Amino acid sequence: MSGKLKAKIGVLVAVALASLACMGALLYTMQSDLQLESCTYDMRQELEELSGLLEAANAEQEQVVSTYDAVYQSKADSVAFMANNNTGFEATDAKMQEYKNLLGVDNVMVVGRDGGLVAQAQDTQADFSLARYNQLRTVFENGEPSAAMEVELPDEGRWFRYYAAQIDDSTMAVVEQNPEELYCLIDETSSKASVLGNIGVGEHGYVFAVSAKTYEIEHHPSDLLTGADAIDAGIEVKNLEDGFFGWMDLDGERLYCGVSKIGDTYYVAAVPESDMVSSRVMTVGVILFVFFAVLAVVIMYGVFVMREDERSGHVEEDYANLGPVRFNKAVGKKAAVLSFMGFLAVVLISFYMQTLFALSSESTSGGERAADMEATIARYNEQADELTAQYGERYLSKAQVAAYILEQNPALATREKMQELADVLQIQYVFDFNAAGEVVATNSPYANFTLSEDPADQSYEFRKLLQGVDHLVQEPQADEVSGELRQYIGATIYGDDGAVEGFVQLGIRPERLENMLANVRLDSILDGVKVGQNGFAFAVSKEDGTFSYYPDSRLAGKSAVEFGMEEGQLKGGYSDYLTIDGERYFATSLETDQHYVYIAEPEADLMTERGPMAMAVGALSLLCQVVIFLLVSFEVRPSRKRPAAAGATGGEGDADERMFEVTMPSGRRAKTESAASRWLNRSLAWDEKTAEQKTLTVVRWLVAVFAIAVCVAVLLQDRLFEKNSIFAYILGGSWERGLNIFAITASAMTACVALTLVMVAQQLLKLLSSVFGARGETVCRMLASFIKYAAVIAILYYCLALVGVDTTTLLASAGILSIAISFGAKELVSDIISGLFIIFEGEFRVGDIISVGSKSGTVVEIGVRTTKIEDGSKNVIVIRNSEVSDVVNMTKKSSFASCDVGIEYGESLERVESILEKEFPNIRRRLPAIEDGPFYKGIVALADNSVNIRIIAQCAEGDRGQLERDLRREMKLIFDEYDISIPFPQVVVNQPKEYQEATLMEQLRADRFNTQQKEATKNFGEDEGERR
Amino acid sequence: MGEPGKARRFAARLAALLAAALLATALAGCAGGGGTEAGEGTLRVGVRSDIVGFGFYNEGTGKYYGLEIDIAEELAERMGYADVELVTVTPDSRKDALLNGEVDCLVACYSVSSSREENFDFSPAYYTDASVIMVEDSSLITDVSQLAGRTIGIMSGSNAGPTLAIKLNELGVIGENVIENTDEGTQYEGVYVKKIPSYKELSDALEAGAVDAACMDASITQTYLDELRSILPTEIAEQSYGVATQKGSELSGRVAETVQGMLDDGTIAALIDKWD
Repeated sequence: MSGKLKAKIGVLVAVALASLACMGALLYTMQSDLQLESCTYDMRQELEELSGLLEAANAEQEQVVSTYDAVYQSKADSVAFMANNNTGFEATDAKMQEYKNLLGVDNVMVVGRDGGLVAQAQDTQADFSLARYNQLRTVFENGEPSAAMEVELPDEGRWFRYYAAQIDDSTMAVVEQNPEELYCLIDETSSKASVLGNIGVGEHGYVFAVSAKTYEIEHHPSDLLTGADAIDAGIEVKNLEDGFFGWMDLDGERLYCGVSKIGDTYYVAAVPESDMVSSRVMTVGVILFVFFAVLAVVIMYGVFVMREDERSGHVEEDYANLGPVRFNKAVGKKAAVLSFMGFLAVVLISFYMQTLFALSSESTSGGERAADMEATIARYNEQADELTAQYGERYLSKAQVAAYILEQNPALATREKMQELADVLQIQYVFDFNAAGEVVATNSPYANFTLSEDPADQSYEFRKLLQGVDHLVQEPQADEVSGELRQYIGATIYGDDGAVEGFVQLGIRPERLENMLANVRLDSILDGVKVGQNGFAFAVSKEDGTFSYYPDSRLAGKSAVEFGMEEGQLKGGYSDYLTIDGERYFATSLETDQHYVYIAEPEADLMTERGPMAMAVGALSLLCQVVIFLLVSFEVRPSRKRPAAAGATGGEGDADERMFEVTMPSGRRAKTESAASRWLNRSLAWDEKTAEQKTLTVVRWLVAVFAIAVCVAVLLQDRLFEKNSIFAYILGGSWERGLNIFAITASAMTACVALTLVMVAQQLLKLLSSVFGARGETVCRMLASFIKYAAVIAILYYCLALVGVDTTTLLASAGILSIAISFGAKELVSDIISGLFIIFEGEFRVGDIISVGSKSGTVVEIGVRTTKIEDGSKNVIVIRNSEVSDVVNMTKKSSFASCDVGIEYGESLERVESILEKEFPNIRRRLPAIEDGPFYKGIVALADNSVNIRIIAQCAEGDRGQLERDLRREMKLIFDEYDISIPFPQVVVNQPKEYQEATLMEQLRADRFNTQQKEATKNFGEDEGERR
Repeated sequence: MGEPGKARRFAARLAALLAAALLATALAGCAGGGGTEAGEGTLRVGVRSDIVGFGFYNEGTGKYYGLEIDIAEELAERMGYADVELVTVTPDSRKDALLNGEVDCLVACYSVSSSREENFDFSPAYYTDASVIMVEDSSLITDVSQLAGRTIGIMSGSNAGPTLAIKLNELGVIGENVIENTDEGTQYEGVYVKKIPSYKELSDALEAGAVDAACMDASITQTYLDELRSILPTEIAEQSYGVATQKGSELSGRVAETVQGMLDDGTIAALIDKWD
C-alpha cells in the first residue's frame, strides 16, 4: 500500500469518525430535546389540570365533611329536641349514657353557657370555659346548632370534633366524637393521594407532592417514600419552585420533573430518566449503527478499489481529470449508488425507529391508562356500595332516634311536631304509623296513607315492622307517585310493655347517593380523560355496537361500524390504529361489563418528533455522505505518470484463480466466482476477492454483528430491559396481530435470533465436519442445509402468524392445495419449486456456462418456470426447471483446449519435441484466443498405429471449440512443414495367384484314404479332442 | 397612637429591664468561661434545629437543613474556614452559648434589637420577618382587640414578648404597667403573656386552648398553621435576623463584612428564594 493511499484512508477514517460523532451528538441532543419538550408539554398540561382536580377533590372533601358534620349536628340537635319535648330528659350522667348509646356517639354532655359541665356520659378532657370553645357558644346567639370544631392533640390521646345544640338559654347539648371515620373517608375519596394516584405522566411517570412547609413528601406512589424528607431523599430545595422544569434526584433515581405550587404544596410531575433513556439509547443506537454501516461500506469499497487499482496499475480511461484533481469513474459510480442507498436507508431507519418508539410508548401508556381507568371504575362502584350502606346506617340511626322520641312522648304525633322532628333530624318526611299500618302523623302531604297489602307495592315491605322486625332499610327506588329516587327507612316503636305500637318511617331523597351514582356513570368518567394534546376516551356498547360515549355528540349513539370502525376492533385489549369518521387514531381498549372503552390519540399528534428528526438526520447524513463520496472518488492528480506496477500479472499467475469475469446477458462484464469454488467450504482468501466481494463481505459482517446484537438483546431481555420497557412490549406481543410496525419489528427480531442461531449451528457443523471423514462431512453438510431450510420455513411461518395470517388455515389449505397440485398443476408447481431450489442451492447463476444433459451454453436467465441458456451458436435453449438435471457447471476461470496428434512409430520423438518447442511461441502468436500455452502434455497412448501426443492451451470456455480446431490445423501445418508423417490406416492391394485342379486318380485315392483311416481309429480317440 | 411618648417610655423601661437581665447572664458567662479564639479552621455556628426552612435538624440523617444552615456554611467558606461545626441552640440557650464561647457566632433566627446589640455585635440583617399572632378559628377571635383579658403564648427567650407588649400597649389592649413577671409568664394590665419552652408545646397549648393566641415570627408560623387556624391581620413588629458575634471580638468585623458581601452579590437573596 502506498503512503498516499494510507494517508487517504487515514483522512477517510477521520472524516467517518467525525461524521459519526456529529451524528451521534445530533441524534442524542435532538432526541432528548424533543423528548423533554414533549414531556414538558405533557407535564404542563397535567399540572394545569391538577389544580382543577384538586379543587374538585377539595369540594368533594368539603362535601364529605359537611355531610358528616350535618349527621352529628342533627344528633346534638335531637338531644336538644328531646330535652325540650318532654321525652324524659334529665341532665344526669345516666341519661347522657343512654343518649350516647342511642345516638351512637363517643360522648354526650350538657354544658352551661359559661362552660361548666352539667352532665356527661363519660369524662371529657375538654375545658369548655376556654375561648377555644367559643365556637360552641354560638348556639346561644342564634339558636342554631353550632358549626363543628376540632381539637387534635394525638400526643395526649385527644382527637375530637365537637357539636353543640341549644337546650335553653343557659345550657347546651354537646356531642363529642372521634373523627377518625371522617378522615378515613376523606383519605379514600378525596385526599391528595386519591387524586394524585389517578394521574399518570408518560409511560411510567407519576405525580408526587412535597409540602412547602416541611419539605416532607406528602404523597408518592411508593409507600416507602411517602412521609420521607424530600431533601433527605435527594431533592434540591432550589428546584422546588413553581414552574420549574428540569432534573431531580429522588431516592437515587433521576427524574425529569415539572413543579407546580398549589397552596402549600409542591406538586411534582416526574418521569424517570430510565424511561427516556431506554427508548433514546435504542433509537439513537440503531440509527447510528445504520449510519456507521453505510459509511463503512462506502469507504471500504473505495479503499478496496483503490488498492486493487494500485496493485494492477491503473487504467487511464478510468479517470476524468478535473483541474488539479481527478475523478475515479470506476469508484465514483458505484460509490454514488452506495451513498445514495445508504442515505435512503438512514432516513428510512430513522423514520421507522421514531414511529416504532412513538407508537409503542403510546401503546404502553395507553395500556396503563386503560388499567387505571378500569381501577377507577371499579373503585367508584365499590364506593357506591359502601356509601349506600353507610347511608342506610346513618338514616336508620335517625329513625331509631325518632322512634325513641315517639316512644317517650306519643303526644308528639302532630303535624307540627313531625315537621320540627324532620328539621332536627335533617330529613324530608317523617311518618308515624300505628300498629294497623296507618299514618298517625306526618309532615308529608300524604297524611292518609295506609300500608299496602299488595306485596308488589313499595310500602308492603314495612308490614314486617308490625310483625316484630326491629328496623328496615329499604333500597332506594323511584317513588311511585313522583318518580324521584327516594329511600324509606323504618324503626319500630314499642310500648311500655314491649308490644309493637307502630313504627316511624323516614322518607329521604338520597341526593348525594344520586350524585355518587351519577359519577359512576361511564360518560362522566370518560369525560375527564385527557391524553396528550388531543387524545380522548370513548366507549362502544357491547350490546349493539353503538358509541355509548363519544366527545363529539354527533357520533354518540351511532353505530361504530358505520363510522369506520371494524368488527375486529370491537374488543378488549385492542392496541392499534383505527379510523373513526375519516380520522386515524392510535387506540388502546379495555373491556367493562357493558362497554368497550377506548383511549385514542390522533395519529398526527404522535408523530410530532418524527418529521424534524428524520429531516435533520437525513440532512446530516447527506452531508457526510457527500463529503465521503468526494473523498473516495476524487484524488489529487499525480504530477508525473507513474509506471505501471511491475507485479501487474503477479496476482493472476495463480492457476487456482477462483474469481474471473463473465459477460452478463446485458453485455456488462461482471466478476463471478468459479463453480467449483462456490461449494467449497473454504472462503476466498481476502486478497483474492474483488473490491465488490470485499465490500459484500463487510456488509455481511455488519449484518451479522447487528443480528447477533439483536439476538443477544432478545435473549437477555429480562436482564437488559425493564419489565415494562418498550423492548419488552414489542417482544411481549400484546399488540394487535396484523401488518403493523410491531409485527414487522417482532418478525425482524425473530429472524435475527433464528439466523444467528442457524449461523452458530452451521459454524459448529463446519467445525465438526473438519474432524470427520468424508462421510461425516456429507452428513454435516446435509444437516447444515436442513437446518437452513427448516429455519427459513419456521421463520416464515412464525412471521406470517405475527403479521396476522391464520397459519392453521394455511397449513390446512396446503393439504388441499397439494391434492389439487397432484391432479393439475403438478408440473408447473414442480417447475417453480425446482426454480427456487436452483436459486437457493446456487446450482448455477446467470452468466455461468453449464451443460444440462446434452445441451450446453451460457445461462441467460433463471426464471420462475424455465431456465434459458444460450448455446455456442447463439440459440436460446429453454429448459423447464424440473428438467434441469445432470447439470455440469463448467464455469471456471479457464478451460483447456486440447488436441491429440498421432505420430509414426518410426519418427524420432526427440525431433518432434524439439520442433514443438520451437513452434509453440508461433502458435501462441497466431492464435490470440490462447490465454496461456500451448503446452506439451506428453504421450497419451502408444496406439496400434501411432504414438499419440497431446497439446493443450488455456483459454476461455467460450473459445474452447474454435481453439481446438485451430490447434489441430496448426499441428498439421507444422508436421507438414517438418515432414513428420501422421500415420493413417493404409490398404495394400495384391495380384491374385492361379491354382491347379485335382485329377480323377487323386480324387479316388483320397476317398479310399478317408475311409481307411476312419475305420482304423474307430475304437479310440473318439470325442477326446472334442471333449477337451 | 395618641401618645407616642408614652409608648416610647414604656419601651425604654422594658428594654432596661431586659438589658439588666441580659447583662447579669453575660457577666456570669464571662466569669465562668472566658473568651475564645476563632476555631482553628473550624467555625462553630449556633443554629436552630426546630424551624423548617431556617434551621431544621433531621434526626433520620443527622443533617441540618435550611436557609441559616446555608448561610452559615457560605459564611465559613468565605471567611476561609475549612469546616463548619453546627451546634443546636435554643432561644433559651443561645445567649449563653455565645457568651461562653461554645459557639463563635449565632445564625439562629436571632433578631437584631437594641437591647441585644448592647451585648453582642450583629452583622447586617440577612432576613426580615414580622411577628404575628396566630389563633384558633374556633375561638372566634378575629382582631387583636379581642385579646383583652386573654392569654397569649410566646416562646420563652424569644424577642416576641417585649415587642408584643409594646404593640399591644400602642393599640390600647394593655396598660402600661407590668403587674408580675416570672419565668412562666408576664402579667400585663389586661393580658397574660405565657412563656412556653418550645414552639411545638406552644402550638399544642393553642390547640388545647391553654393559650388563646400564640405570638411568633411569621416564618415560624408556616410550620404550625393549618386550615383551622388563622393569623390576625395586625403585625406586631418587624424582626431582622442578623448573625450575632461576641461583643468586640475580632470576628465581628469580618462576619459583618462577609454578610454584607453576601447581601451585595445576591447570594442571600438567592438562598432566601431557594428556601422559600
